[in-house]
Amino acid sequence: MKNEKSWDWHSEKKEIPVKEWQNRFNWVEEHSVSPDGEKIASIVNTDEAEFSVCMNGNIWEETFEKAWCLRFLPDGRLCVLASNDEEWTVCVDGTFWETWFDYIWDLQFTPDGSFVAAAVQKDGQYGMSVNDKAWDSFYENISGAVLSSQGTSAAVVQVDPLGQADIEGFNKGIFAVALNGIAQPEKFMNIWDLAFDSKGEQIASSIRKNRLDYSISKNSRIWEKNFQFSWKPEFINKGASVIAPVRQGGKWLLFKDSVPFWDKSYEQLGKLAIHGDGQKIAAIVSNAYGKWTVSENDKIWDFHCDSMISELFYSDNGSLLIAIFKNQGYWDVAVNGKPWNIKADKLWNPVISSNNEILATRMEKDGTFFLVVNGKVYQEPFDMIFEPKISPNNDKILLKAMKDGIYLRQILSLEKVL
Amino acid sequence: MHSFINFIMGPMVWISFLIFFIGVIFRLIGLFKQINAKENFVYTYLSFKYSFRSIFAWLIPFLPVSTRKSPVFYSISYVFHLLLFLIPIFLLSHVALLEESMHWSWVTLSDSTADSLTLIVIFSLIFFFIRRFVVPEVKFLTRLSDFLFILIVALPFVTGFLAYHQFFAYRWMVIVHVLSGELMIILIPFTRFFHMFLAPLTRAYTGSEFGNVRHAKDW
Amino acid sequence: MQESLTIDEKLEPDKKDVIDEGVEAGLSRLTPQKISQVINQVLTKETGPRFKAYVETCMRCGLCADACNIFLSNDRDPKFSPAAKVKQTILEMIKRKGKVSKQFLKDTVRIAHTECNACKRCSMYCPFGIDIAYMMLQVRRICHKLEITPLYIQDTVNSHSATMNQMWVKEDEWIDTLQWQEEDAREEFENLRIPLDKDGADIMYSVIAPEPKFQAGLIYQTAVIMHAAGLNWTMPSTPGWDNSNMAMYTGDFEISARIAQVHYETAAKLHVKKIVMGECGHAFRSVYDVGNRWVGWAMPPVDLVHAIDFYHDMLTSGKIRVKEKYKKTVTLHDPCNISRGRGLHNKARELVNILCESFIEMTPNREHNYCCGAGGGVINCGPPWKGTRMVNSREKKDQIERTGAEVLIAPCHNCHSGLEDIVEHYGVDMEIKFFGDIIYEVMEKTIYQEKK
Repeated sequence: MKNEKSWDWHSEKKEIPVKEWQNRFNWVEEHSVSPDGEKIASIVNTDEAEFSVCMNGNIWEETFEKAWCLRFLPDGRLCVLASNDEEWTVCVDGTFWETWFDYIWDLQFTPDGSFVAAAVQKDGQYGMSVNDKAWDSFYENISGAVLSSQGTSAAVVQVDPLGQADIEGFNKGIFAVALNGIAQPEKFMNIWDLAFDSKGEQIASSIRKNRLDYSISKNSRIWEKNFQFSWKPEFINKGASVIAPVRQGGKWLLFKDSVPFWDKSYEQLGKLAIHGDGQKIAAIVSNAYGKWTVSENDKIWDFHCDSMISELFYSDNGSLLIAIFKNQGYWDVAVNGKPWNIKADKLWNPVISSNNEILATRMEKDGTFFLVVNGKVYQEPFDMIFEPKISPNNDKILLKAMKDGIYLRQILSLEKVL
Repeated sequence: MHSFINFIMGPMVWISFLIFFIGVIFRLIGLFKQINAKENFVYTYLSFKYSFRSIFAWLIPFLPVSTRKSPVFYSISYVFHLLLFLIPIFLLSHVALLEESMHWSWVTLSDSTADSLTLIVIFSLIFFFIRRFVVPEVKFLTRLSDFLFILIVALPFVTGFLAYHQFFAYRWMVIVHVLSGELMIILIPFTRFFHMFLAPLTRAYTGSEFGNVRHAKDW
Repeated sequence: MQESLTIDEKLEPDKKDVIDEGVEAGLSRLTPQKISQVINQVLTKETGPRFKAYVETCMRCGLCADACNIFLSNDRDPKFSPAAKVKQTILEMIKRKGKVSKQFLKDTVRIAHTECNACKRCSMYCPFGIDIAYMMLQVRRICHKLEITPLYIQDTVNSHSATMNQMWVKEDEWIDTLQWQEEDAREEFENLRIPLDKDGADIMYSVIAPEPKFQAGLIYQTAVIMHAAGLNWTMPSTPGWDNSNMAMYTGDFEISARIAQVHYETAAKLHVKKIVMGECGHAFRSVYDVGNRWVGWAMPPVDLVHAIDFYHDMLTSGKIRVKEKYKKTVTLHDPCNISRGRGLHNKARELVNILCESFIEMTPNREHNYCCGAGGGVINCGPPWKGTRMVNSREKKDQIERTGAEVLIAPCHNCHSGLEDIVEHYGVDMEIKFFGDIIYEVMEKTIYQEKK
C-alpha cells in the first residue's frame, strides 16, 4: 500500500496513556488500534445509557444509547455500530450513515477500507447495507453475509415464509443466494459457504439439495454430481472454475467443476488456500484420523499436528504457505511445513513483509504477550500486542502494544528483533 | 468301527483344533482388516490401561453393579465359564490320552472332583435353559439358536458324564462325546461362541471410551 | 444358522399408537425399494466391524434390561429392554435383508427415537460392554435417510442446518438478547459487560439456543458470575455460539459435523484459550466426543469446559465466594452426558457441598444414575410423544421422589425440562434448579481482585 510509506517509521517510541480513561469514564471497552498505530480508541460509557468513542483521549461529539463492534478500517477511519432512539446504524469517524435500521451487525469492509458493509434488519425484514446503500429488497432472514474486495455483497436469504415446525415447507427449499440484494431464482434446502470470485461478480457455495444430497453451486447452477457433503468452494482460473472439498464414498476429495481434481482421497479435506488464480492450491487435510497436515497441490507436507489447523494462507508471491496449528495443547506457526516451535497459548496470523521474507505476529504465553518474528520471540513482555506491521522497505517493524496502562507505538529495527 | 474311533480320537482332534485356530485367526484378521479400513479411529481411543481396567473389573465377582443385580445368574455363569475350560483341560482321561500320544502331561483333577464339577456344568446349563423360559426379558430375546448353543455345550459334558459312569451304551457315549466336543471346538470361530474372543475386544473398547475419553467407570 | 424360530415371533403392534405427522408423511412417500436400499446401505456400508461385533457378541442374556429406565418404568415389559430394542429393529432388518414394512418402520421410529434415551447406561450392565445406544443411533440414521424422523426434532435439525442454532434464532435476535441481558445485569453491577467478539479473551462462553429464546435470565446469571470472578471472557456475535446439536440424535451426522465445526472455528477465530459452556449435557456430548469426531478432531481442538467444571474452579479458587449457603434440602441429578459422559459427578457433589447446607443423595447415582427420560433427543420429539415420555419416566419420578428433597439440581437443559415435566405431570413437590441459579443466589456480588 502506498500510504504505508508515509507512516512514521522513524519515531522510536510514542506513548498514549489510556489507563486514565478509566477515571474519566464509567467504563472503557476493548481497545482498537489504527493500522498506522497512531490512534487508539475505545467505546466508553459516559453516563447512564450513554456511550461514545474515545480516541487518543479525545471523545467524539456524538453519543449513543448503545454501541458495539468498534473497528479501525484499513484506511484508518474508525467505525462503530451505534444506536440512538432504538434505531441502529454505522457511525464512521463520528458521522452516522443516513439510513437507520432496527438492528445492524456483521460489520465487514474491503481490504482497502473503501467499502463498509453490514447485515441489517428493519421491520423484521433482512438485508445488507454497503456504504450506506441498503439493498433494494429485504427478506425473511439472512445468514452468511459476505463482501467482495470490489464492494459487491451477497448473503443467503430466506425467500419464502416458513411456519412453525413446517418440515414439508423446509423440504421445498426456501433459501436463495442474494447478490447485491437480488435473490437468485434457484431455491435450495440449505446454502452455506458463499465465496466470491476475484472480480466480485460470481458466487459459489455449498448447497444441500435434499435430505441427503449435497453439491456445489456456481451462480446457483449446481454441479452435476451429488456428494455426501461438502465444505467451502473457491474460484480459480479468473473465475472460470470452482474447486471444492467434497465427500464421496466416505472419503474427502478435491473436485473441480464437478470432476475429480486431485488424485488423493483424504480422511478430511477442509479449508482451501489459493495462490493467484490457482497456480498453487493448498488445503487443510487429515490423512490419518485425528492427525492434521497440509496438502499442497495434492502433495502432503511432512508435518502433522494432533489438534487443529485453524488457518492456511499464502504470501502474496506464493512462496510461503503459512499454517496456524495447534499441537499438544499449544498454538504454533508452520511455514512451508516447518514449525516455529513457539508453543503459544494464543496466537494470531502473521503479517508478511513486502519482500515475502519476514513474518511477524504476536502471541500470548502464560498471560504475557510477545512479538514473534520469523519464529523468533522478542523477549520484551507486554500486557497486550495488536497486529504488527513490517515497514515497506523491510527493515523495521511497527509494534503496537500495551504496557502498564500505556499504549506504546514503537518502531523496532528488524536487526534488533532478529 | 475301531478305525473310526481311532480317527475321531486321533487325527480328528487335531483337525478340529486346526479348524479352530485357523478359523479364529482368519476371523480376527478379517476383523482387524475391517477396523483398519472402516473404523481406524478406534485405535485413537483404545488404551491399554483402561481396556484392562475394564476387563479386570468385570472379572471380579460382584464388583460390577450389574452382577449384583442378578447374583444367582452371575454366580452360575461365572462358575460355568470357568469350568467350561477347567474340566476338559484338567480331566485325567484327557490328559492321559495326550500323554499316551504326545507325552504331554500336567496336573489333573481327580475323577470324583471332575465328576461333581461336570454335574455343576450340567446343572448350570439346565438353569440357563429354564431361565430362557421363565425370565420374561430373556424369553423375549431368545431364539432357537440360543437353545442350540446350550445343546452343543451340554452334549460333551452329558455324554462324558454318562460314559464315565458307563450307565449305558458306553461306546456310543464315547463316540458322541468325542464328536460333540470336536463340533463345539470347530463351531467356536463361526458362531456366537466367538464371543469368547469378541467380548474382550468390545469390553476393551467400551472400557477405553469410558475411562480414557469420558473419565468414568463402566461397571 | 437359520434364525427362523422365535419364541415371540410376532411383534406385537403398538398399543399406544402415536401419530407423528413427520413420520406419517415420510412413510407415505417410501417405496419398498427405497426402504431396503437405505437399510442395506447403512447396515453394510456405513457401519463397520464394531457394529458387526455388537450384533454377533450379544448372547441375549437380558442383563441389560435392569439398566434401562424405560424398561423399569414399563413394569419390566420385555419389549423395552435394550437388547429387545435391537432385536425389534436391527436384527429384524438384518434378518429380512432390509425388506421391512412401513408398519415395521413406524415401530422402529418409535423405539429408536422415543424409547431409548441413548444414555449408555446399558453399556455398563452388559458384561461385554455392548454399546446399544450406538446401535439405536444407527437406527435413527436409517430413519433420517428414509426421512421418517419425528417432526419436532427434524424441525430442530432444520433450524440447526439453516441458522447453526436449534431454535431458529436469527442473527440479530441473538446479539440483541445479549445486549438486553447486559443492560439488565447492570442493575446489579453498574459496569457489567457481556463482551462480544472480544479477540483474545481467555474464555468463549457458549450456550444452547433455548437460553436466548426462553431463558435469557441464565445468560444474565452467567454474566454476573463471569463479571464477579473478574474473568476475561467473551461471547461470539456470529453463528457458532450455539453448542447444542440435535442432528447427532437424528443420525444427521453431516449437519452434526457442520455444527461442531462452526463452534470450534468460532472459538479459534476469537483466539480464546477455552470454551466454557452452560449447563447442558447433550451439547457437551456433541462437542466433546460426537460432532468433533466426524470432522476429524479426535478430541476437542479447543479446550472444552462444562459449567460444572467451571463453577467448581471458580468456587474452589475463591474467585466466587459464597455469602450464605443455600438453605433448602437439595438433591442432585447426574446428567448422563456429563457423568457417564465426562465423569463430572464428583465435582458436582463437591460443588453442592460448597453451595448448600443439606444434600440428600439420590440412588442410584453418579455413573449409575437414571436418565431424566428426556435425553437422547427424546424430549425434542415434541408434544406428540409427551404422553409416552411421561409413562417412560415413572422410574425417574420414583427415584427423585424417594429423596424427599425440596430442590433438585439438574445441571443440564434437557434434564431440566424433562424433570420439570415429570414434576408437573406426577405432582411431585420439588423445585428444579440449575447450579447457576443457586450460585447466583448465594454468591457474594463483589468483584474478585487477584492478589498481586
